[in-house]
Amino acid sequence: MFEKVLIANRGEIALRVARACRELGIKSVAVYSTADAESAVVKFADEAVHIGPPAVGRSYLHIPSLIGAALKTGADALHPGYGFLSEDPYFAEICADEGITFIGPRPDVMEKVGDKATARQLMQAAGLPLLPGTVEPVNTIDEAHDIARDIGYPVIIKAVAGGGGRGMSVVTQEEDLPRLYQTTRATAQAVFKDSAVYMERYLETSRHTEIQLVCDAHGDGVYFGERDCSVQRRHQKLIEEAPSIHLTEETRKEVGEAAVRGALSVGYTGAGTMEFLLDLDGNLYFMEMNARIQVEHPVSELVTDTDLIQEQIRVAAGEKLSRTQDDVLPLKGHAIECRINAEDPDKDFAPTAGRLDTYVPPGGPWTRVDSHCYPGWMISPFYDSLIAKLIVWAPDRDKAIDRMIRALQEFEISGRGVKTTIPFHLRILDHPQFRSGDVTTDFVEHFMSEEAAAAAAAS
Amino acid sequence: MNEPPKRTSASKNQELIRAVWDEARDLVKRLEGSTVQRFSVEAGDTKIEIERRAGVVVADVGSGGGSGTTSAADGAGEAAVETGHPIQAPLVGTFYRAGQPGAAPFVNEGDTVDAGQTVGIVEAMKLMNQVQADVGGTVSKILAEDGQWVEFEQTLMLIEPAG
Repeated sequence: MFEKVLIANRGEIALRVARACRELGIKSVAVYSTADAESAVVKFADEAVHIGPPAVGRSYLHIPSLIGAALKTGADALHPGYGFLSEDPYFAEICADEGITFIGPRPDVMEKVGDKATARQLMQAAGLPLLPGTVEPVNTIDEAHDIARDIGYPVIIKAVAGGGGRGMSVVTQEEDLPRLYQTTRATAQAVFKDSAVYMERYLETSRHTEIQLVCDAHGDGVYFGERDCSVQRRHQKLIEEAPSIHLTEETRKEVGEAAVRGALSVGYTGAGTMEFLLDLDGNLYFMEMNARIQVEHPVSELVTDTDLIQEQIRVAAGEKLSRTQDDVLPLKGHAIECRINAEDPDKDFAPTAGRLDTYVPPGGPWTRVDSHCYPGWMISPFYDSLIAKLIVWAPDRDKAIDRMIRALQEFEISGRGVKTTIPFHLRILDHPQFRSGDVTTDFVEHFMSEEAAAAAAAS
Repeated sequence: MNEPPKRTSASKNQELIRAVWDEARDLVKRLEGSTVQRFSVEAGDTKIEIERRAGVVVADVGSGGGSGTTSAADGAGEAAVETGHPIQAPLVGTFYRAGQPGAAPFVNEGDTVDAGQTVGIVEAMKLMNQVQADVGGTVSKILAEDGQWVEFEQTLMLIEPAG
């Protein structure tokens, strides 16, 4: 096992990783920018290194400073968290060159699964279902026309290097294709420095369903069930839950096994997530693989009794998975996570930075709060707006919703200029459609226009 | 059985000053529009006094052994803080006083330097980053040793500004 892990991240995930390290008896090293000097993880970790100014380019994304901090403190491993450099094969390679174990897949594997076109090819070969479309990049507009006619409109054009909802366009009719093909390529080039795009059938209504898995270096892999993340706004997830009430026991097993098979077929090690679209007929289609731990991992932890971060660290250290497939199935009860962001839902979710005067997280049975915040903490405009992840567990979905509503009502957060997504979450949880579970990825959009219409009618 | 958190941070004192300064700035913002004219923020040996006059903010920052606004620094355990303009590390890495092993140091204590003059190097992953004096003056104290690993904004040396 490792002796000391450097955490190349900030905020709640840095604290989450440091906690896992402490429970495993591993020393942790936090790194911080000037804006994070008073952060919770800096206080919690065994050591802390000031790596740069608030701007991420010179701190959390600055590879020489992170490597320098790891070498100086004698860390034998590095946990990248999520975001920042967590899916950068170049960074993983440099860590390896410097003798630091990167807690994640090997750089070459990360590169393969990070390229969406390659990932589609590999997963198709492993037997995962794909939406009709291309597995090769589409290089000319003529080719694009042929493919679109073949798979039928609407189609979606996606950047091979894309992510986070950027670099994709939906084409509903043939005459829009040339324009959208060109603009998607141009966006892809500008944002991801790679103009390659691929195409597939666009599902107008679907559910975002993802499979959590962990593979060790001994050729074993376990899937930790699925998460439904259909409550999202512009591809930003707001509420996640596990399990999905739309998957049957058979489908879960089938797709879970295929996901593990696919991951092992490319030599994947560590924690990863395979994203799927679930159509209204119950068919799953592979979308992409994320080669890191995800924000919403706690819901899977609660329904599988597994600490996924500890599992991730264990397998990176060369140990075998501590959990077997039989240990984690069947999934136990129901878990829901709400992302509490410092954003103003009434102003198009604009981030609201500011100092927290009040911060009183909820407590009580089966209520978990993953957060780096405390009264007096400054929500900085330099970083993402996540204040806390509120996660609850209950024996079934209905009780989990009741518990989440209770916990959200208990949560006290205030500060000058600070608004949170708590009221928005409460309205969503109260909506009959959410209660029924019949939620697709366009739910939030409909919900918001419904609210806007009601507000207009009332005034 | 964990040891108390250990900071490999540059200077506790500097951190304290920064924390107090942040707090003071925050207070200034909150006092906008109020009639409060003068206040002070204090922590340890660091004290900031701020006086507000018709749209002007005059700040006086004092630190242990510095100007008259500080509380009595008795120097218990720690020597009085050096005065002078701090030259700080631009990034995390290894500090070198000379261009190459065996060469003469860029500067020694007592040397006169011009603004923009190279006074050291911080190496990070084999990239040599020059450290330049941002003011001209006399090198009053060199705080970081040759070959020492330094953090971002760690004070490497002090310069007594000319004139």
